Amino acid sequence: MSEDISRPPLLLLDPCREREDLLRARDRLRIAQSRSGRRWLRLLWLLAGPGVLVMLGENDGPSMVSYATTGATYGVGFFVPFILLTFLMAFVVQEMTVRLGTATHRGHAELIFQRFGPFWGYFAMADLVFGNVLTLTTEFIAIQAGGLYFGISPWLSVTGGVALIIASLGLRRYATWERSVMLLAAFNGLFIPAALFAHPSGAALAHALTAWGPLPGGINNVFIVLVLANIGATVTPWMIFFQQSTVVDKGLTRADLLQGRLDTAIGAALAAVAAIATLLASAPLFAHHVDVSSFASGADFATALRPYLGSTGATLFALGMVEAGLVAAMAISTSSAYALGETAHGRHSLNLDFSQGKQFYAAAILSTLLAACIVLIPHAPLLAMTLTVNVIATLLMAPALLLLLLLVNDREIMGDLANGWRMNLAGGSVAIFIALAGVLYGVITVFPNLFGVGP
Amino acid sequence: MSGDPDLTAFLEPTQLTTATRQPLPRRKLSRATTAFLILLRIYVFIAIPIVAYAFIHAMRASP
Repeated sequence: MSEDISRPPLLLLDPCREREDLLRARDRLRIAQSRSGRRWLRLLWLLAGPGVLVMLGENDGPSMVSYATTGATYGVGFFVPFILLTFLMAFVVQEMTVRLGTATHRGHAELIFQRFGPFWGYFAMADLVFGNVLTLTTEFIAIQAGGLYFGISPWLSVTGGVALIIASLGLRRYATWERSVMLLAAFNGLFIPAALFAHPSGAALAHALTAWGPLPGGINNVFIVLVLANIGATVTPWMIFFQQSTVVDKGLTRADLLQGRLDTAIGAALAAVAAIATLLASAPLFAHHVDVSSFASGADFATALRPYLGSTGATLFALGMVEAGLVAAMAISTSSAYALGETAHGRHSLNLDFSQGKQFYAAAILSTLLAACIVLIPHAPLLAMTLTVNVIATLLMAPALLLLLLLVNDREIMGDLANGWRMNLAGGSVAIFIALAGVLYGVITVFPNLFGVGP
Repeated sequence: MSGDPDLTAFLEPTQLTTATRQPLPRRKLSRATTAFLILLRIYVFIAIPIVAYAFIHAMRASP
């Protein structure tokens, strides 16, 4: 419990703010009771959420399609340890957002605006909104694709997805929203039994992890695009904004930093396992030389995998695609709403009533509707869009990482939680690696014959 | 919702919404930092059209 609370008078005059504070304070009361009772597992359970959600949320529609395309193109080899590396990078980045949120109790967008001014703030917001609308669109592509596998029309599956997202916002309580989405995110694990149906070789997996190979065809254009798509599948700008905002909305403090880090590490580990499982599940397509370049959507992966995984395995794969799209759509629409609320100095919390948080909920609902409408455009090139969105996410990540590093090194706001040299080395390396991967992509696009076309 | 001022004592003073509504002071960016930010902005402005070109090119190439 905080000592020496000086309660500003406005708190008692503004019922909207009072509700937001009181709901958050109730959560803090439970945390304080668990901490004083030394119930560490319960404490971790109470404080977990933002990290697990952001990591499993990023195992979204385009990410799972990227992993499936990777498995179908390269089989079990180089990309298995590479996926682990990308999740390590994601942990490095997301851990910084936990510290920023607990040290400042402010969202990422408002920190950029307040510390660097509107010029850089609007650029950061433009990147976020652009990336979020595109990514949200691809989440509906995944929902639609999963639905198609079960014979559900695109209209019905997309409308059902929109209805579920709006219903989740209707909970009007951060803690309830978080637990509901976490429950749904648990179904990301469906890719694990799907992978077991592919009977992956333990020896091949162990060889891939130790030798970073094989890499059939070596370095070529397809390889570079998949490297970028796999990076974009784990490290994206919306994750920075989302986790920092949810850490603030959940009410985490400096005392909760250990649990916040554990939450992020557990999320990264769970998401990495699901990602590798997706690659393993789709590896039979590589072994049987199935050409995935003509696939129109994620549903085609499930259909193509049926002879190798069996009906149950393919069904799990398709259900996993729907879950991936749905959880990410809930997280990304909320990320946009938080960021817009922070930018416009509006109320931004999932603890708000609809009447109190009109702007916040409207941003989430409108972005969801816009993405859903784009997906329903006839003959839209959905699979190409899905892979391209991950590439765009990777390209937008470099400036987002620089802003994050500047904020987390800002001792005026971070105090003793500011980055040390080790974290700067790790964060800086991630930023440089991502920027160079983007440059490489530009080079192969302009000079397509530089490395050869495919494996 | 009925107010419970004692409950809000479980929040840190800087966590209260009235506190977070107060903007933080603006930070002065060094020339090197500004140059880095501009460089990365140029990077994005060059990279995104390249992705758009690659996407359109792939669409035209596909049957």
